Amino acid sequence: MCELRKRGLITAVILSEPFLKLGKNQSRVFGVPDLPLLLIAHPLGGLDLGGVKGRAQHAIPQVIELIKENYK
Amino acid sequence: MTGITELLKAKGASLEAEDDFDTVNELMRDRGWSDGLPVIPPTAARVEQMLAFCDRAWDEPVAKIAPRYGEATPLRLAANAVMAGCRPDYFPLLVLAIEAMCEEPFNLYAIQATTHLCAPLVIVNGPVAKELDVNAGHNAFGPGWQANAAIGRAIRLVLVNIGGAIPGSGDMSTFGAPSKFSYLAAENEEASPWEPLHVERGLPRTASAVTVIGAECPHNVNDHESLTAEGILTTIAGTMLDTGANDVFYEAQPLVVMGPEHAKTVAEGGFSKARAKQFLHEHAHLPLGRFSRENIDRRLRVTWKERFAGAGPDAPVPMVQRAEDILIAVIGGAGKHSAVINTFGATRAVTRALKLRDGRYASAIADFRKK
Repeated sequence: MCELRKRGLITAVILSEPFLKLGKNQSRVFGVPDLPLLLIAHPLGGLDLGGVKGRAQHAIPQVIELIKENYK
Repeated sequence: MTGITELLKAKGASLEAEDDFDTVNELMRDRGWSDGLPVIPPTAARVEQMLAFCDRAWDEPVAKIAPRYGEATPLRLAANAVMAGCRPDYFPLLVLAIEAMCEEPFNLYAIQATTHLCAPLVIVNGPVAKELDVNAGHNAFGPGWQANAAIGRAIRLVLVNIGGAIPGSGDMSTFGAPSKFSYLAAENEEASPWEPLHVERGLPRTASAVTVIGAECPHNVNDHESLTAEGILTTIAGTMLDTGANDVFYEAQPLVVMGPEHAKTVAEGGFSKARAKQFLHEHAHLPLGRFSRENIDRRLRVTWKERFAGAGPDAPVPMVQRAEDILIAVIGGAGKHSAVINTFGATRAVTRALKLRDGRYASAIADFRKK
């Protein structure tokens, strides 16, 4: 993901709150400290399809906002 | 070679602290440079002593350790070895183990950062195991032996302090495992009826080596009753049955640790290692119906689509995909016990020989002594 970001693509990592620190650390380690990290509710694993769609519904507006910001 | 005084002048290479054990330990704990236990303060003098058996430049990159991808140099490794309580002659084995677990097939990033409870297990083979008195007998995975405890602990400190395996930010293990403190043992080659692990994996018997495995803790196999190879192996295969193991869902390499007494019975029954693996592979499977409906639909029928797409509840689910993927090592003392050690699954065991800079196999730790 960091490599894609470095190449100029609009990129984000979608993660749940317990993994936020890991995500911040890894984006810094891979040289993209401003990599957008989009938060969804925890957990993602163990959900049925409806639950996964719910998480996606929460992430999609953040993704759209990110795309809009990058096209300004 | 640049001396330690010069190397410690580099930014961030050293810090000043009061020459007091408790003060240094408080500092270490505050900075997260610890496994939670007190450490030996890594003074410049102690670190220099630790490098007595290092045959490379002390600032030479050895590996980058995930997930932080911190650069391991002999100087940094030696500081952690001091903190862990290592003797200087342990140092080449520490360097070797770190190099092995940083090879790509081991998948150290995932092993460090996963929610799974795995830790790198190091099995030592060859003459160096005896030279350094690495325990291969009673309580080999437990406490009471300096080489096992200190080298294993040094590995953990390196993984934390250089690799960034900080609980909750680099090590996301849901609850971890006691094996994350230290997890290193030698194979009991003298008590083994078979070729040692490193020989089976392509190295000469005279070589010393480590094999690193992204492993769970040992799960005991108690069999005081079976008198035949088939009996012992049936009990071991039964212990391998596990609907919650990562290994079921990957092309994994679980380790079967045979106690010497079990190994003797199995070998005297005419079983080579290869045949024992074949037996285990054939007998270690569960009917599909033993898995939860969700695991069948969302994992097994996705990962092994062709095999289980139309399979009924009696269809066999192998615990290991290929017989040759089962690793066997003989470890331990007297007693009718063996152990099954499952793995992280998405990892391959890596065996690496102890070699000198010129590529020759090291015959003794003394070969590494600084000239």
